[in-house]
Amino acid sequence: MAMIRAGLQRFASVFGNGQGGILSKFITNLAPVENKSLPETTKDVIATCNKLAKEQASRNFAIVHLLGKQWRVTDGDLLVVEGYWPPNIGDEIRLDKVLLAGTKDFSLIGRPLVQSGLVDVTATIISKGLSHTRTHFKKKRRKQFMRVNFQRAQQTILRINSVEIGDKINEAPNNAF
Amino acid sequence: MSASNLFMKPGFVRAPLQNGVGRYVCQLQRVVLKFCKTHGASRGLRDFIEQDLVEFAKGNPGVVVYLKPRRHRGPVVVAEYLNGERIWMNMHNKTHSEITKWIETLRTQQGDVSATRLRKYQYTAYPSIQGPWSPFTFREPELNTAELPDVKFGENNRLPTSATEQLRLLFERQRLGDGQEKTAE
Repeated sequence: MAMIRAGLQRFASVFGNGQGGILSKFITNLAPVENKSLPETTKDVIATCNKLAKEQASRNFAIVHLLGKQWRVTDGDLLVVEGYWPPNIGDEIRLDKVLLAGTKDFSLIGRPLVQSGLVDVTATIISKGLSHTRTHFKKKRRKQFMRVNFQRAQQTILRINSVEIGDKINEAPNNAF
Repeated sequence: MSASNLFMKPGFVRAPLQNGVGRYVCQLQRVVLKFCKTHGASRGLRDFIEQDLVEFAKGNPGVVVYLKPRRHRGPVVVAEYLNGERIWMNMHNKTHSEITKWIETLRTQQGDVSATRLRKYQYTAYPSIQGPWSPFTFREPELNTAELPDVKFGENNRLPTSATEQLRLLFERQRLGDGQEKTAE
Protein backbone atom coordinates (compact mmCIF):
# COMPACT_ATOMS: atom_id res chain seq x y z
CA MET A 1 0.00 0.00 0.00
CA ALA A 2 2.78 2.36 1.00
CA MET A 3 4.65 1.49 -2.15
CA ILE A 4 1.66 2.37 -4.34
CA ARG A 5 1.08 5.67 -2.57
CA ALA A 6 4.73 6.69 -3.00
CA GLY A 7 4.57 5.76 -6.65
CA LEU A 8 1.46 7.89 -7.17
CA GLN A 9 3.12 10.83 -5.44
CA ARG A 10 6.10 10.53 -7.72
CA PHE A 11 3.83 10.39 -10.74
CA ALA A 12 1.94 13.48 -9.59
CA SER A 13 5.14 15.37 -8.96
CA VAL A 14 6.30 14.72 -12.54
CA PHE A 15 3.23 16.45 -13.95
CA GLY A 16 2.85 19.05 -11.22
CA ASN A 17 3.71 22.70 -11.65
CA GLY A 18 6.36 22.53 -8.99
CA GLN A 19 10.01 22.88 -9.74
CA GLY A 20 11.22 20.33 -12.22
CA GLY A 21 7.78 19.22 -13.38
CA ILE A 22 7.09 18.70 -17.10
CA LEU A 23 4.37 21.37 -17.23
CA SER A 24 6.71 23.97 -15.72
CA LYS A 25 8.22 24.40 -19.16
CA PHE A 26 4.93 25.79 -20.45
CA ILE A 27 3.84 27.85 -17.49
CA THR A 28 5.94 30.78 -16.43
CA ASN A 29 5.53 33.34 -13.72
CA LEU A 30 7.47 36.01 -15.61
CA ALA A 31 5.41 38.33 -17.79
CA PRO A 32 7.11 39.71 -20.91
CA VAL A 33 9.04 42.93 -20.21
CA GLU A 34 7.01 45.05 -22.66
CA ASN A 35 3.69 44.30 -21.00
CA LYS A 36 4.94 44.72 -17.47
CA SER A 37 3.07 47.50 -15.68
CA LEU A 38 3.84 48.96 -12.29
CA PRO A 39 2.29 47.00 -9.45
CA GLU A 40 -0.11 48.87 -7.20
CA THR A 41 2.26 48.97 -4.25
CA THR A 42 5.00 50.57 -6.36
CA LYS A 43 2.54 53.23 -7.56
CA ASP A 44 1.57 53.91 -3.98
CA VAL A 45 5.21 54.25 -2.95
CA ILE A 46 5.93 56.70 -5.77
CA ALA A 47 2.82 58.71 -4.96
CA THR A 48 3.79 58.86 -1.29
CA CYS A 49 7.32 59.97 -2.18
CA ASN A 50 5.92 62.67 -4.48
CA LYS A 51 3.62 63.85 -1.72
CA LEU A 52 6.50 63.97 0.78
CA ALA A 53 8.65 65.87 -1.72
CA LYS A 54 5.86 68.38 -2.31
CA GLU A 55 5.12 68.89 1.37
CA GLN A 56 8.85 69.23 2.11
CA ALA A 57 8.22 67.07 5.15
CA SER A 58 11.88 66.90 6.12
CA ARG A 59 15.31 68.19 5.20
CA ASN A 60 16.71 67.06 1.84
CA PHE A 61 20.22 65.95 1.10
CA ALA A 62 22.05 65.04 -2.06
CA ILE A 63 25.34 63.52 -3.08
CA VAL A 64 26.89 65.66 -5.78
CA HIS A 65 29.92 65.08 -7.93
CA LEU A 66 32.19 68.11 -7.97
CA LEU A 67 35.71 68.20 -9.43
CA GLY A 68 36.28 64.47 -9.06
CA LYS A 69 35.01 64.29 -5.52
CA GLN A 70 31.66 63.31 -4.09
CA TRP A 71 30.11 65.51 -1.45
CA ARG A 72 27.07 64.89 0.69
CA VAL A 73 25.36 68.27 0.82
CA THR A 74 22.32 69.76 2.49
CA ASP A 75 21.05 73.34 2.88
CA GLY A 76 23.59 75.69 4.42
CA ASP A 77 26.64 73.47 4.02
CA LEU A 78 30.11 74.84 3.35
CA LEU A 79 32.44 73.05 0.94
CA VAL A 80 36.08 73.74 0.20
CA VAL A 81 37.15 72.89 -3.33
CA GLU A 82 40.88 72.73 -3.94
CA GLY A 83 42.68 73.54 -7.14
CA TYR A 84 42.01 75.77 -10.11
CA TRP A 85 38.30 76.37 -10.64
CA PRO A 86 36.96 79.27 -12.72
CA PRO A 87 33.83 80.43 -10.77
CA ASN A 88 34.41 83.72 -8.97
CA ILE A 89 33.07 85.15 -5.71
CA GLY A 90 29.37 85.96 -5.63
CA ASP A 91 28.59 83.56 -8.50
CA GLU A 92 25.54 81.41 -8.03
CA ILE A 93 25.86 78.01 -9.65
CA ARG A 94 23.79 74.89 -9.97
CA LEU A 95 25.42 71.55 -9.20
CA ASP A 96 23.98 69.25 -11.86
CA LYS A 97 25.76 65.97 -11.26
CA VAL A 98 23.53 64.54 -8.56
CA LEU A 99 24.36 60.93 -7.76
CA LEU A 100 21.82 60.47 -5.01
CA ALA A 101 19.12 62.54 -3.38
CA GLY A 102 17.08 61.82 -0.34
CA THR A 103 14.95 62.99 2.55
CA LYS A 104 14.35 61.41 5.93
CA ASP A 105 11.92 58.90 4.46
CA PHE A 106 13.14 58.00 0.99
CA SER A 107 16.20 58.07 -1.28
CA LEU A 108 16.50 58.46 -5.03
CA ILE A 109 19.52 56.58 -6.32
CA GLY A 110 20.92 57.59 -9.70
CA ARG A 111 22.28 55.15 -12.27
CA PRO A 112 24.77 56.83 -12.18
CA LEU A 113 23.02 60.23 -12.11
CA VAL A 114 19.55 61.15 -10.96
CA GLN A 115 17.60 62.34 -14.01
CA SER A 116 18.13 66.01 -14.83
CA GLY A 117 15.49 68.45 -13.66
CA LEU A 118 14.36 66.35 -10.73
CA VAL A 119 16.83 67.54 -8.10
CA ASP A 120 17.98 71.14 -7.89
CA VAL A 121 21.17 71.89 -5.95
CA THR A 122 22.27 75.55 -5.95
CA ALA A 123 25.37 77.08 -4.41
CA THR A 124 27.09 80.45 -4.00
CA ILE A 125 30.83 81.03 -4.18
CA ILE A 126 31.86 82.74 -0.97
CA SER A 127 35.60 82.92 -1.04
CA LYS A 128 38.54 82.23 -3.31
CA GLY A 129 41.84 82.23 -1.52
CA LEU A 130 44.99 80.23 -1.00
CA SER A 131 45.56 77.42 1.46
CA HIS A 132 48.19 77.53 4.16
CA THR A 133 51.75 76.91 2.99
CA ARG A 134 52.42 73.21 2.76
CA THR A 135 56.00 72.05 3.06
CA HIS A 136 57.23 69.17 0.97
CA PHE A 137 60.32 68.00 2.75
CA LYS A 138 62.37 65.20 1.22
CA LYS A 139 65.61 63.84 2.61
CA LYS A 140 67.64 60.73 1.94
CA ARG A 141 70.02 59.78 4.68
CA ARG A 142 73.76 59.48 3.91
CA LYS A 143 73.09 60.42 0.26
CA GLN A 144 73.59 64.19 0.37
CA PHE A 145 70.02 64.68 -0.84
CA MET A 146 67.55 67.16 0.54
CA ARG A 147 64.72 69.14 -1.05
CA VAL A 148 62.36 71.55 0.59
CA ASN A 149 59.47 72.71 -1.56
CA PHE A 150 56.66 75.02 -0.53
CA GLN A 151 53.29 75.14 -2.15
CA ARG A 152 49.90 76.74 -1.67
CA ALA A 153 46.77 75.46 -3.37
CA GLN A 154 43.83 77.55 -4.50
CA GLN A 155 40.82 77.07 -2.27
CA THR A 156 37.26 77.98 -3.22
CA ILE A 157 34.60 77.99 -0.51
CA LEU A 158 31.04 77.18 -1.56
CA ARG A 159 27.83 77.74 0.33
CA ILE A 160 25.03 75.34 -0.55
CA ASN A 161 21.87 77.42 -0.80
CA SER A 162 19.24 74.81 -1.51
CA VAL A 163 18.71 71.14 -2.20
CA GLU A 164 15.26 70.73 -3.70
CA ILE A 165 13.59 67.56 -4.90
CA GLY A 166 10.73 68.10 -7.37
CA ASP A 167 7.49 66.19 -6.95
CA LYS A 168 7.80 64.52 -10.34
CA ILE A 169 9.42 61.22 -9.48
CA ASN A 170 8.77 58.59 -12.17
CA GLU A 171 7.90 61.21 -14.78
CA ALA A 172 9.64 61.13 -18.14
CA PRO A 173 12.95 63.01 -17.98
CA ASN A 174 13.59 66.10 -20.06
CA ASN A 175 16.90 65.41 -21.72
CA ALA A 176 18.86 68.53 -20.93
CA PHE A 177 22.25 66.97 -21.63
CA MET B 1 54.76 76.61 7.90
CA SER B 2 53.79 73.02 7.73
CA ALA B 3 50.98 71.11 9.37
CA SER B 4 53.33 70.04 12.15
CA ASN B 5 54.27 73.59 12.98
CA LEU B 6 53.50 74.71 16.52
CA PHE B 7 52.36 78.12 15.41
CA MET B 8 50.11 76.89 12.58
CA LYS B 9 46.76 76.76 14.23
CA PRO B 10 44.30 74.19 12.98
CA GLY B 11 40.71 75.14 12.24
CA PHE B 12 37.43 74.24 10.64
CA VAL B 13 35.66 75.78 7.66
CA ARG B 14 33.58 78.75 8.69
CA ALA B 15 32.01 81.70 6.96
CA PRO B 16 31.58 85.00 8.84
CA LEU B 17 27.98 86.13 9.50
CA GLN B 18 26.31 83.32 7.53
CA ASN B 19 27.74 84.78 4.35
CA GLY B 20 26.03 83.52 1.22
CA VAL B 21 22.87 82.25 2.91
CA GLY B 22 20.65 85.17 1.95
CA ARG B 23 23.03 87.12 -0.20
CA TYR B 24 26.75 87.38 -0.70
CA VAL B 25 28.76 90.25 0.82
CA CYS B 26 32.34 90.93 -0.25
CA GLN B 27 34.47 90.49 2.85
CA LEU B 28 37.23 92.91 1.88
CA GLN B 29 36.56 96.33 3.46
CA ARG B 30 39.69 98.38 3.06
CA VAL B 31 42.93 98.31 1.10
CA VAL B 32 45.88 100.58 1.83
CA LEU B 33 48.60 100.78 -0.81
CA LYS B 34 51.84 102.17 0.60
CA PHE B 35 54.60 103.03 -1.84
CA CYS B 36 57.53 105.33 -2.63
CA LYS B 37 57.38 107.70 -5.60
CA THR B 38 61.05 107.41 -6.47
CA HIS B 39 62.40 103.99 -5.45
CA GLY B 40 62.60 101.18 -7.99
CA ALA B 41 61.16 98.61 -5.57
CA SER B 42 57.79 100.36 -5.78
CA ARG B 43 57.79 100.39 -9.58
CA GLY B 44 55.25 97.56 -9.97
CA LEU B 45 52.91 99.04 -7.40
CA ARG B 46 53.17 102.47 -9.07
CA ASP B 47 52.30 100.85 -12.42
CA PHE B 48 49.30 99.18 -10.82
CA ILE B 49 48.14 102.48 -9.36
CA GLU B 50 48.52 104.26 -12.69
CA GLN B 51 46.84 101.63 -14.83
CA ASP B 52 44.42 99.48 -12.83
CA LEU B 53 43.51 101.20 -9.58
CA VAL B 54 40.62 103.31 -10.93
CA GLU B 55 39.08 100.25 -12.57
CA PHE B 56 39.49 98.31 -9.33
CA ALA B 57 37.80 101.03 -7.26
CA LYS B 58 34.94 101.34 -9.77
CA GLY B 59 34.41 97.59 -9.88
CA ASN B 60 34.33 97.25 -6.10
CA PRO B 61 32.23 100.07 -4.62
CA GLY B 62 32.20 98.28 -1.25
CA VAL B 63 35.97 98.47 -0.85
CA VAL B 64 37.70 101.61 0.47
CA VAL B 65 41.04 102.22 -1.24
CA TYR B 66 43.71 104.40 0.36
CA LEU B 67 47.00 105.47 -1.21
CA LYS B 68 49.86 106.33 1.09
CA PRO B 69 53.03 107.63 -0.55
CA ARG B 70 56.02 107.35 1.78
CA ARG B 71 59.44 108.62 0.94
CA HIS B 72 62.16 105.92 0.74
CA ARG B 73 60.08 103.12 2.28
CA GLY B 74 59.25 99.74 0.83
CA PRO B 75 55.98 99.06 -1.03
CA VAL B 76 53.32 97.40 1.11
CA VAL B 77 49.67 96.42 0.68
CA VAL B 78 47.45 96.10 3.73
CA ALA B 79 43.99 94.55 3.44
CA GLU B 80 41.35 94.68 6.17
CA TYR B 81 38.32 92.39 6.32
CA LEU B 82 34.83 92.40 7.79
CA ASN B 83 35.77 89.90 10.46
CA GLY B 84 38.50 92.22 11.72
CA GLU B 85 41.44 90.37 10.23
CA ARG B 86 44.26 92.28 8.62
CA ILE B 87 46.76 91.07 6.04
CA TRP B 88 50.08 92.86 5.58
CA MET B 89 51.85 92.01 2.36
CA ASN B 90 55.25 93.19 1.17
CA MET B 91 55.33 94.12 -2.53
CA HIS B 92 59.08 94.73 -2.80
CA ASN B 93 60.24 94.39 -6.43
CA LYS B 94 57.01 92.69 -7.46
CA THR B 95 55.97 93.26 -11.05
CA HIS B 96 52.74 94.82 -12.20
CA SER B 97 51.10 91.49 -13.13
CA GLU B 98 52.15 89.85 -9.85
CA ILE B 99 50.62 92.71 -7.90
CA THR B 100 47.41 92.48 -9.94
CA LYS B 101 47.11 88.80 -9.05
CA TRP B 102 47.86 89.29 -5.36
CA ILE B 103 45.33 92.10 -5.04
CA GLU B 104 42.72 89.92 -6.77
CA THR B 105 43.45 87.18 -4.23
CA LEU B 106 43.13 89.65 -1.37
CA ARG B 107 39.81 90.82 -2.77
CA THR B 108 38.26 87.39 -3.24
CA GLN B 109 39.27 85.69 0.00
CA GLN B 110 37.43 85.98 3.29
CA GLY B 111 39.88 87.12 5.91
CA ASP B 112 43.25 85.56 6.57
CA VAL B 113 42.42 82.12 5.14
CA SER B 114 45.98 80.91 4.87
CA ALA B 115 46.77 81.45 8.56
CA THR B 116 44.91 78.29 9.57
CA ARG B 117 45.30 74.70 8.49
CA LEU B 118 41.89 73.29 7.60
CA ARG B 119 41.10 70.04 9.40
CA LYS B 120 37.95 69.32 7.45
CA TYR B 121 37.03 70.48 3.96
CA GLN B 122 33.31 70.49 4.61
CA TYR B 123 31.06 71.98 7.26
CA THR B 124 27.52 70.80 7.91
CA ALA B 125 25.13 71.54 10.75
CA TYR B 126 23.19 68.36 9.91
CA PRO B 127 25.62 65.41 9.83
CA SER B 128 22.85 62.86 9.37
CA ILE B 129 19.35 63.16 7.94
CA GLN B 130 18.15 59.58 7.78
CA GLY B 131 19.74 58.83 11.16
CA PRO B 132 23.14 57.28 11.76
CA TRP B 133 23.46 53.60 10.89
CA SER B 134 23.69 51.07 13.67
CA PRO B 135 23.89 47.27 13.53
CA PHE B 136 20.17 47.15 14.41
CA THR B 137 19.03 49.40 11.55
CA PHE B 138 16.76 47.54 9.11
CA ARG B 139 16.69 44.43 11.33
CA GLU B 140 13.59 42.41 12.17
CA PRO B 141 11.74 43.79 15.19
CA GLU B 142 11.40 40.18 16.30
CA LEU B 143 14.96 40.48 17.52
CA ASN B 144 13.82 42.88 20.27
CA THR B 145 11.86 40.24 22.14
CA ALA B 146 13.95 37.19 21.31
CA GLU B 147 15.65 35.31 24.12
CA LEU B 148 19.34 35.20 23.29
CA PRO B 149 21.22 33.01 22.50
CA ASP B 150 18.74 32.00 19.85
CA VAL B 151 19.21 29.42 17.11
CA LYS B 152 17.46 31.55 14.50
CA PHE B 153 19.42 34.75 15.15
CA GLY B 154 22.62 33.04 16.11
CA GLU B 155 23.04 30.92 13.01
CA ASN B 156 25.87 31.77 10.70
CA ASN B 157 24.30 31.95 7.26
CA ARG B 158 26.64 34.54 5.86
CA LEU B 159 29.36 32.18 4.67
CA PRO B 160 28.90 30.32 1.38
CA THR B 161 28.54 26.51 1.57
CA SER B 162 31.91 24.83 1.60
CA ALA B 163 32.80 22.13 -0.93
CA THR B 164 32.65 19.44 1.79
CA GLU B 165 29.20 20.59 2.82
CA GLN B 166 28.01 20.59 -0.79
CA LEU B 167 29.29 17.04 -1.30
CA ARG B 168 27.58 15.89 1.90
CA LEU B 169 24.27 17.41 0.80
CA LEU B 170 24.60 15.82 -2.64
CA PHE B 171 25.29 12.44 -1.09
CA GLU B 172 22.34 12.68 1.27
CA ARG B 173 20.00 13.70 -1.53
CA GLN B 174 21.18 10.75 -3.62
CA ARG B 175 20.66 8.34 -0.75
CA LEU B 176 17.16 9.74 -0.23
CA GLY B 177 16.41 9.27 -3.93
CA ASP B 178 17.65 5.64 -3.80
CA GLY B 179 15.34 4.87 -0.91
CA GLN B 180 12.37 6.38 -2.78
CA GLU B 181 13.10 4.40 -5.92
CA LYS B 182 13.26 1.25 -3.93
CA THR B 183 9.88 1.94 -2.43
CA ALA B 184 8.45 2.82 -5.84
CA GLU B 185 9.40 -0.52 -7.38
